[in-house]
Amino acid sequence: MAIPRRIRQFFFPSLTPLFLIRVCLVSVFAYLFFNYLCIPFTIQGISMEPTYLNGGVNFCWRLRYLFSDPKRPDVVAVRFAGNEVMLLKRVVACEGEQVEFRGGRLFVDGGGIEEFYVRFPCDWNLPSRRVEKDCVYVVGDNRSMPIESQYFGQTSKNRVVGGPLW
Amino acid sequence: MVKGRYLLTGVLIVITGIILAATVFPSEEKKVKKRFRLLSEWVSKSPEENAFTMLQKIKDISTLFLEPCELKAPNESLSGSYTRQEISAYAGSARSHFSQLNLKLHDLHVAFPEKEVAKVTLTARLIGKVQTGEQVDEIHELDCLLKKIDKKWFFSQIEVIEVLKK
Repeated sequence: MAIPRRIRQFFFPSLTPLFLIRVCLVSVFAYLFFNYLCIPFTIQGISMEPTYLNGGVNFCWRLRYLFSDPKRPDVVAVRFAGNEVMLLKRVVACEGEQVEFRGGRLFVDGGGIEEFYVRFPCDWNLPSRRVEKDCVYVVGDNRSMPIESQYFGQTSKNRVVGGPLW
Repeated sequence: MVKGRYLLTGVLIVITGIILAATVFPSEEKKVKKRFRLLSEWVSKSPEENAFTMLQKIKDISTLFLEPCELKAPNESLSGSYTRQEISAYAGSARSHFSQLNLKLHDLHVAFPEKEVAKVTLTARLIGKVQTGEQVDEIHELDCLLKKIDKKWFFSQIEVIEVLKK
C-alpha cells in the first residue's frame, strides 16, 4: 500500500534549505519560550495539596505580573537563586497588611479570611506580623502539615517570577 | 574541490584545538564550579557507603574550606567562624544522622568581583532520609565567597539567604 505523499512528506521531510531554516526558527522560538516565558515544572512536595498534587506538571507563566502585583489569593512561583528550583505558594497578605494565624484560621488586619482552597484541618498559631514594603506573605494550601515543616513567610515581590498556567 | 577539503580540514583542526584547550586549560569559572561539584559529591551519602569511604569523604570536605571559614545564617546559633577541624567534625556528625543524603546544586552564578575572589550565588537542595526513616527536603539560597590560594579555590564565606521570612 502506497503512503500518500503528504503524509510521507510530513514524517520524512526533504532536507531543503527552507526546511532547515524553519527547524532552526522553531527551535530558537521553543528555547526562548520555554526558558524565559513559560517554564515547565514538576511539583515536588505536598505543601500545596489538594490544589496542586505532588508529581503534577504545570508551566510558570512569567508575564503574569508584568503589569500588576501579586494579590490575595493568587498562586505564585517564588524563585531562589534562579529558575531551576521554585516554590509554589499562595499569597495570603500584601505589603502593609497585618497577618496572623489563630487556631488554624488566617486573620489579615484583624479580620478572619475565608479560605476556600484550604481543605485539610489546621491548628496553626502564629503571632501577628506586618508584611514589609515590596513584599508579599505566601503560604501553602496544605495546613495539615506541622507549622515548622512548611516553607512560608514574607518574600520580596522581586522573587515572584510568575504564576502557574492552571 | 581540493580547496574545499583543505578548508574543512582546517575548520575541524581549529574546532578540535578549541575543545582541547578548553579541556586542558579550564576557565576559572569551571574551576570554581568543580569545587562545588566536589562538595556535592562528598556531602552526599549512599545507603551502601562503608566506614572507610565515610571517613575519607569527611576528611575531603574540610580540604575545600579556608581556615577559618565564616558561616552566616538566619539561625544565629549556626553563624560563626569554623576551622577545618570543626567543619570535619560537624560534617561527620551531620552525615551520621542520615542513612541517605543527596546534595544537589542548582543555578550557579559565578562572578569575580576582585582578583582571586569569586562570588557564587546558588540554590542548594538537600534531600535525605534520617536514620529513623523520616524524609528531609531542605532548600536554601546561598551566597558563597571563594578565595584562590596556590592556584586552588577555597570557600571562605557561606551566607544562607532568607528567601521566606516567617
